[in-house]
Formats: sequence, C-alpha cells, structure tokens
Amino acid sequence: MSTEHHPFVDRRRFLSTAFNGIGALAASDLLARETLGASPMIASSVADPLAVRVPHLPRKAKHCIFLFMQGGASQLDSFEYKPELNRFHGQPLPHIPAISGELQGRLSFPHVTIGSPFAFKQYGESGHWFSELYPHLAKHSDKLAMIRGIKTDNQNHGPSTLHVTTGSQFPGSPSVGSWVSYGLGSPNRDLPGYVVIQDPRGAPVNGAAVWANGYLPAAYQGTLLRSHGTPILNLSRPDGVSEAQQRREFDVLAMLNRQHQALRPDDSQLAARINAYELAFRMQTEAPELVDLSAETSATQQMYGLNDPDTAGFGRQCLLARRLVERGVRYTLLVHGVQIGRHSWDDHGDVEGGMKRHSREVDQPIGALLSDLEERGLLAETLVVWASEMGRTPFRNGAMGSKPGREHNSWNLVMWMAGGNVKAGASAGVTDDFGLRSVGEGIHIRDVHATILNLMGLDDDQLRYQHAGRLRQLTDIGGYVLDDIIS
Amino acid sequence: MLFRLTIRHSLCCLLLFIVQDASAQSQREAKWPFTPPQVASAPKTDSPWVRNGIDSFILARLHEAGLTPAPEATRQKLVRRLFLDLIGLPPSPEEVQRFLEDDSVHAYEDLVDRLLSDPRYGERWARLWLDLARYADTAGYEGDPDMPHAWRYRDYVIDAFNDDKPYDLFIKEQIAGDEFEEIMGAGELPGTPPERLVAMTFLRLAPFTEPRGDETRHEMLSEMTSTVGSVFLGLTVGCAKCHDHKYDDIPTKDFYRMKAFFSTVAMPPPEPGDGYQIGGSIPAAFYRQGEDNWADEQRARFRREIEDSGRQLTELKERLAKQVDGEEIDKVLKDDNDTRIAAGDRAEYHRLSDRPRLLRQQLKRLEPVAMSLRHSFGPPYEPGVPTSRVMIRGEYDNPGEVVEAGFLSCVTGNQEPAAIRLDPFKRWPTRSRRMALAEWIASPDNPLTARVIVNRLWHWHFGQGIVPTPSDFGQLSGGPSHPELLDWLALKLVDNNWSLKSIHRLIVTSATYRQTSLRDEEHASDVDPDNRLLWRFNRRRLEAEAVRDSVLAVSGRLNTEQYGLPIFPPLPDDLAERVKYSESKWDTQAGPEGRKRSLYIYQQRTLTMPFMQSFDALVCEESRPRRRHSVTPLQALAMYNGMFVSEEARHFAGRVRAEVGDDIQQQIARAFVIALARSPSTEESTELTALARESEAGLEGVCRVLLNSNEFVYVD
Repeated sequence: MSTEHHPFVDRRRFLSTAFNGIGALAASDLLARETLGASPMIASSVADPLAVRVPHLPRKAKHCIFLFMQGGASQLDSFEYKPELNRFHGQPLPHIPAISGELQGRLSFPHVTIGSPFAFKQYGESGHWFSELYPHLAKHSDKLAMIRGIKTDNQNHGPSTLHVTTGSQFPGSPSVGSWVSYGLGSPNRDLPGYVVIQDPRGAPVNGAAVWANGYLPAAYQGTLLRSHGTPILNLSRPDGVSEAQQRREFDVLAMLNRQHQALRPDDSQLAARINAYELAFRMQTEAPELVDLSAETSATQQMYGLNDPDTAGFGRQCLLARRLVERGVRYTLLVHGVQIGRHSWDDHGDVEGGMKRHSREVDQPIGALLSDLEERGLLAETLVVWASEMGRTPFRNGAMGSKPGREHNSWNLVMWMAGGNVKAGASAGVTDDFGLRSVGEGIHIRDVHATILNLMGLDDDQLRYQHAGRLRQLTDIGGYVLDDIIS
Repeated sequence: MLFRLTIRHSLCCLLLFIVQDASAQSQREAKWPFTPPQVASAPKTDSPWVRNGIDSFILARLHEAGLTPAPEATRQKLVRRLFLDLIGLPPSPEEVQRFLEDDSVHAYEDLVDRLLSDPRYGERWARLWLDLARYADTAGYEGDPDMPHAWRYRDYVIDAFNDDKPYDLFIKEQIAGDEFEEIMGAGELPGTPPERLVAMTFLRLAPFTEPRGDETRHEMLSEMTSTVGSVFLGLTVGCAKCHDHKYDDIPTKDFYRMKAFFSTVAMPPPEPGDGYQIGGSIPAAFYRQGEDNWADEQRARFRREIEDSGRQLTELKERLAKQVDGEEIDKVLKDDNDTRIAAGDRAEYHRLSDRPRLLRQQLKRLEPVAMSLRHSFGPPYEPGVPTSRVMIRGEYDNPGEVVEAGFLSCVTGNQEPAAIRLDPFKRWPTRSRRMALAEWIASPDNPLTARVIVNRLWHWHFGQGIVPTPSDFGQLSGGPSHPELLDWLALKLVDNNWSLKSIHRLIVTSATYRQTSLRDEEHASDVDPDNRLLWRFNRRRLEAEAVRDSVLAVSGRLNTEQYGLPIFPPLPDDLAERVKYSESKWDTQAGPEGRKRSLYIYQQRTLTMPFMQSFDALVCEESRPRRRHSVTPLQALAMYNGMFVSEEARHFAGRVRAEVGDDIQQQIARAFVIALARSPSTEESTELTALARESEAGLEGVCRVLLNSNEFVYVD
C-alpha cells in the first residue's frame, strides 16, 4: 500500500464499490467533476486514473506537443538577433554587470565574443526575428509567442534537462506531461495518455527520467513509442496465441479477477488492474494502426520531409505527433538529439556547422506540423511548445581552433509556443544586447511551467499531490503565469 | 511581478519563521525524534486478542479511535503471506500442506522460525537493503562504466541478513570496516579482513561521472554524507549541503562537520584502461566458504569459453570464406547488406566476435579485490587530515568557515568537535575518523538509529511505516502513528543485541500481523482511511523481484543457486537487438544461469530490464526507501504477451502434467495450489476446465491466466 494518499478515500471508496471494470470510467469522471471545484487537489481515481477531468480554467487547448531539443540549442543563432555580438566579434565580452561567480568559476577562460554567422530577418506582423536556419518555421512567425531570458538553476545537461522537463533539477519529480495527464486525464482510452517519441538515434540525457511520473502514480508516466520493432514493448501476442484465444483467456481472467475483487470491494487497485488488461487488449490494435504512416498521402509525407534522410527522423516524429493529437492523446513529448556528441545541440565547437545540421533536421518537420495542425483545425486545440534545456553563451568555448563553439548558458533559454490560447505574435522577456541573460524582472523556468499548465486549463497552485509530508506541485514553490503571451 | 515576488517571499519567510520558532522551542525541550526512546511497558490489557507487546500498543490506539482489530486471516492466507514476506517466494504445495496439517499450537511460530533460518530469507531482505544502498553494477552517466566488483557487496548483504549480523556491527563495517582494530604501539597498520573491505563498497555505490579533481571529490564525499545520514539516521542531511535545512535543525555547518569524518578517505587511482572509473579496487581475498574454489572453477570456465569462441569464430570464418571466393571475410561479414551471408551466420559471427570482451569482463569480476576504500596513510606518506570547510552554496570552489568533524547538533545539542581516538603515537593521524562517526551512529544512545531500522522493518512488513517516511524522521515526516510502540521496538532491538531477526519474529508473530486484509468496514475506513492504526492487514502487490521469482518458482524453473556473479536474463527481442552490436555489457544467458533469483540480475543504470521496470524496480540512482506499486497497461502487456511469462506458462503446464497426469480437473486443482496456494472453487474449476478443453492452448492457457490473475500478484 502506498503511503501517498488523496484525501477523498471515502468517496472514492464508495464509488469504486458501486462500479466495477468499465463502469468505473463514468464513476470516476463523476468523482472528478465533483471534487475539482471544491478542492485544491484533484482526486484521481485509482480505478481509472486517466478518466477525463474538467480543467480549472476555460482554455482551448486539449493536447500538448512538447518539442525538446537536447543539448542546449543556440538561441543566438536561432531567434535572438543581437548585432552587438557581431560588432564585438573576436573581442572580449564588454563588462556585463553581475556575472555571477559561478560563471567565472566554471568557465574560467577569456570571454571572447563570437558573432552569429547567420543572417537574421524579421517575419510577419509580429516581427519575430529568425536566422536563415529556420525558413520553414519563420513562415509561422505570426503564430508564435517568443519567451526570452528564461533561467534554469543548473548549467549541466543532466540537471537542466530535468529542470525543463520535470520542474526539478534532481531525478524523481514528475514530468510536465505527467502533471498534465494527472490534471486532465486522457480522452483516448485505447492508447496511453502521454506518449514519448525519442530521437531514433538514441535517448536523451537522463533517459526515462525525462518523462517519468516521479512521485505521481505510474499511470501518468510517459510511454515510449519505439522506433524499432513493435511500437510499444510486448504489443504482439505470444507465439501461437490467436486473437480469439487471447480474448477467451482475457474473459476467463476477468471472471477470476472479478470474483477475487468481489470479496475486496474497497481495493481500487484491483479494479485498476482489471481495466489495465482491457486497455492493453485495445492497445494491441490501436498502436500498430497509429504508427502505420502508409495511410498518409505522399504530399503529407513529403511536407514532413520523410523523403529526405536529414529530415526523415524528426519528420516521422512530428507526423506521429499529429496522428496522436488526432486520436485524442493528451500529451506528446518529442525529443530531438541524443545524449552527447554529434547528434546533440551541444555545440561547444563549430557552432556554425552544428547549428546548420540540427536546425535543418527539425525546421521543415516543425513547419509542416504547424501547417498541418492548422489545416486540420487542430492547432487551436493543441499547444505546441519548443524548448531546449538551456541557451548558449555569446562568447566562445575555451581555446578552440578556427571553428568556435558556444558554452552552456542557463540564464537565457529561449522558447516559443503556438496554438491553443497562445497570443499569436506576442513576446515575453527581454535580454541584454549580447543575449547572455535577461534584463528586468526575468523569467524562471517555473514561470514557463505555470504558463504551460495555465494554457492547458490547469492552475499550478491547485494542481498538487501529497508527497513526503507536503503538497507538491510542478513548479515546487509556485510560478508566475506569463499573461503577456496568453490571449 | 516584483510585488508578487515580495508577497510570495514573505510568505516563505513567514513559514520559515514558524519553523524556526518551533525549532527554538525544540532546543528548550528537545523533541521527537531527538530524545532517546522512552522505556514504555506495553499498555495493560486483558484482551485475549493480544499475543505480544506490539498488539497491546496497537489495540490501545484502535480502542481510542473506537475501532477493533480484524479477525485472524485463514491459515491458507497466512502461509502464503509469510512465505512471500519472509523469503519472497510462494509456498510449494507440500509446504502449504505441511503447515495446514500441523496442528501443534506452535505451528505458526515454527513456520516463522523455519523461514527466518531459510537462506532464501537473506535473498529477499538483502534486496530491500540494496535499494537503500543505491546498489548498482554500473556507474551511470556517460558510457555507464561497469563496476566489476560491486556484486561482492550484494553477497555480503545477503550473508549479513542470513547470519543475523548484529545491526550495530553491520553499520560499522559499512562505514568504517578498515578501522576496527585498535593500534596500541608503534607497529604496523593492521590489515583489514576482506569481508569488511567488501562491506565498505556501500560508500562507493553512488552513480558517478568521469572524475574531475576537487569537484568530484567534493561531490563524492557529500554524497557519502547524505546517504549515511538518510540510511542510518533517517534524516535528510543532504538538504543542508547548500543552505541550512529548511525544516529540520540541520545547519549547513553541521553537514560539513559530518562530511569532515570522510575527509581522509582515499582510493587507489583507476587501473589502466579504466579512465572513466572514479577509483581502483583494493585487494580482498574471497572469504566466503568455498568461494575460492568456486572462483577458480569460474575462471577456468571463462578461459575455456574464450578459447572456444575464438576457435568457433575461426571455423565459422573459414567455412564462410569459401562462400565468397576468397574475399576478405571480415569485411564481407561486417557489411550487413551483403546477402551472400545468411542472417543466422552473421549474427553468430557478431556474437562470437563480441564474446571474448564480455568474458574478459567476467574474469575481471573474479579478481580477488573489492570496490572499497581506505583512509589515507597520512604524512609522511600521503596528505594528512585536510582542513574541512563549509562550502558556500554547496559549491566545491567556494570555501567558507573552517569546521571540525562533529556529530549533528540536533542530536547532541552542541557543535563541539567529535573526539577521534588516534593511536597513542599518532602514527596514523588520518585514521579512526569514520569509526568515530560509525560508533556514534551504532550506539544504543543514538536516539535515531534503532528507531529508524525497526521502522524500516515495519514498513516492509506492513507496507507502511510507523513513521510513514522511512528515510525522513524530520519535521516533514508527519511523525509516528505509534510513538511508544516505535520506542518499545527500538529498545527491544538493542536489548536483543541488535538482532533484526528478533524484530521480524516479534512483528510477524503478533496478532496485528495475523489480521485478515479482507475486511471492508465503512466505519473503520471513515475513521482511518489510510489504515495507519492497522484495523486490518494491508494487501500489497508483490515487488518486481517477487513477481519474477514467483513465476519461475511456479513454472519449476527457478535456479536456486545462491550468490555469485551478476546474471543476464534474456531481454525482449529488439532491446537485445539494440545492445547486441554495441559495447553492450549484457551477456545474455538463455540457460539456467539467467533464471536465478532477481536480486542477482545485473543492475545496469542505463538499462533496467523492462519487465522489472514495469513493476517499479528501476535500477537505483539514489537511496530508495520504498517501492511504488503501480498498475499500468504496460504491466499487463508484459505479463501476458511478454516472452518471459508466456515461456514460463508453458513450463508451468508441463510441470502440472508431469505431477498429476492427464485429468483436466486434477490439473486445474494442482495448478491452483501451485500458483495460489489454494484449491479452486467449483465455479472456477468449471470455467477453467472449459477453457482447457475448448481452446487451442489447453492447459497452457489456464496456466497463463493464473499467472496473470490479480490473486497471483497480490498478497492478502
């Protein structure tokens, strides 16, 4: 038995005794409606933890696609136009007040400024700046809200990746998608509510901790949609077992389990396990159909870049994300880039070459995803978020040769959002002339998290879970919603 | 935003103020858990329900709340409960029968004693300790280097539980195994028995990344400090690394005073080729009975296998070379697109090419060394005791105030330096620091140590501790549900020479433990929905290891061999595919070796076996005081579709046929008692007979259903 409990055991208990199996869905839906308004916590039904729940706030977004670029994408070569960088190219970074000791200590080499090798241009009425690396995304300029100068608390990949994806730099906390699933449940009951598609070339830093459920129940963990073999592990029936045979065995199993549960009517875990087998059964049909891209027209496939080896990888991820949204999956995390090395956005050396490669791999697929969602009328109900774990510095990394790179910069992560109630063309946050850090009030990653929840209809301060003696929430100590980017 | 920040900040300060105020008060009247356990005699009662002291405490609280205890569980349920709880395996039909037919008044107690002296007890309970010790066989992070000697610590822990090693000794061996012997004169530095060197592996099990000088040393010693604090003292000492503890009376200075006990820790540098290791190993002969011979046999076997695979590879290449008309065969074989080579041959080529590397690693695991540490030899040989300082904000290069090694002030009430007893000639000034800490922790006077471990045992038996957060006895724990009972158990532990088995025995023979879990009473669940007062027993889902081990026990294919090298059970197909041609560490064992109990599975930090993972057994990154018990569709897929269970279901059916012949009803009755320790009801028998008769899978389908049933993975 878990020691982590919701305070609604009595009511939950009543409902789970009144309903069994499939019926529990409606029951816990009722339960959620009942308790959401009255309480700061969501009573997630153990019997059906993914039952759809009514959000705290009226919002259009029903789904979220989170695009995560592993390695620390250079904002200075993407969305931050800083002409001062090029003016001071090759010279020491002019004094910027209050560079903390941490920066001096960790990066104890001369801070030689490097300009961006890429041409920048403003697009659309919003006037967002894009470097020449993002021709496809730039066309969607007026759909995007830019957030600049976001701070996280750690300069290293492992902790900062966790900070952006889970709200805490230490392993063990639930990821953003877990919180959203916990808050809203999932409309599609034949697929997991929270799906992760990682780069076909490998896993991100921290592996599965990036989509872990942490201290939330396991029903809220991200499920990895695999690029090899069956899309979900153990999806095919055992050798020699036909579908009819399996159905027959599942029916007998359900009979045994129901009899077992009849004597233990207040144990909702047992009911949950009965449901889990039914969901598993349906997943066997639903998941293979989901990943079968042959149903897509060749125009669509080309739009996502599936015909080009450079863009095919992330193109497939983006196209699958759209298919997941169509099927009502609540939260999709796409990871581009792997731990360390060539396929990570971690361009300590040759930021020019690196950024050309990475941005080419994602630009067309992301542009296609935004167009496709819009054409299908799905953009309004889908929040799309683009992030990396940190930005990069305006100065070069150490003593590099002729191809300079940039260092980690956890003071200026730049993110963008689109869809849902995102105010198209808006901006939040201002950064200094070198794009090193924010000026003014500053935005912390927890503010961004509070904003994502808000855009999904969830109030961060109400979305809590009792763990280790206190009520926990995604932002830990609370964050400020960035009202400027919400319409 | 500035305004809002201020409000939030002042709220935070207000909260801190309240906490600080509470702590000021606590200094006036030292508070739980920092006062020694109070001698409490069990409340007087003449209730016939009460079997031992535990029950008096439990009953008193139940009565206070207007509740009554539940009836005793049936013997059939008790036998299954005891087996799965004490040894982590289901009872065999013979064992069930033996217990049910034993009409002695001591039948239950006899079974408890039998199970506590069963060597399989150590295998289950060691696993729970390994969770606390953040045990793994690899280091994690980039490259995830192998830690070839960690497994010896796992075996040490199994022995410690089976031998009922006094807990105070268990603590001292793990923190300061090398500092036991007193040095009276100017003689040699005494050697350390190998067992105690192996015990200290505990301090080195944290994940680490490629060493980087002072920074790594700072992080390593800080991690030791935090882990020792949470595992043995049940305090989140690590929270005070960067700032004063936000809730408990642990100032940052105390963190660094505690860390100073570890300041003379030394390790040999990594061996050639092990650049990513944080340190080398220390010679430690095999000391377990028969282990030396076993190691010799294993080494001979692996050397033979290296030769065999080399020869097989040569033969294979010679044979295949003929198919490609003298082209360079290695080149042809490495080209996956060259269709002249059959897929099976190519796979075999890759396997044979890779084996020597994996086998050499096995040989390395068999070196008589331990992943241990020692104290620095001190001047004139090595550096002396370094000056310890507070590291501001926890940063390794941001030194603050000088501190001296000392115990936590929340316990001692002061920040005096600890007395560290050096040898009379001060020949080894760097010695005895960790022992000073270990002795303070493992002392009957330490108010935390005994309480923390008895609470852990309670937590593992009942699914919920008397203090609900077993590694945090601080302000956030919410405090104990039964403070007097906790103290009573803690004092019993010390009185019984720190025997953990004596506490197990007390707990599992209590009437509290023997209650049924099948009690659905509205009044009780209204008053105490979380069952903290124990008005019934808590049903629990088996932990991952017990699920896998039970499946193997039921199929009759569990390899009961104990101890030894890590095992590599088969992985799901494409996962195996993914690790096959890379620098995999997974040397898949399709045979009986791969069917040993789950605690022997290679704990690779970047690759948890999916089956284990789906039942919440992730390879540890940090000390883990408890497991989750989740329910997901992926678990259902693993149990029903997964290769492991479907294969074992087939063997289960084979076993049943071999044991009772062809009569379907007898087969079903037998399958029930093997899997669920009971007979089927008439209705169950009818349904399953129909399934066996009418469906293509026959008995195998019945066996698969039983392994997938809720009853199989839950203990009442």
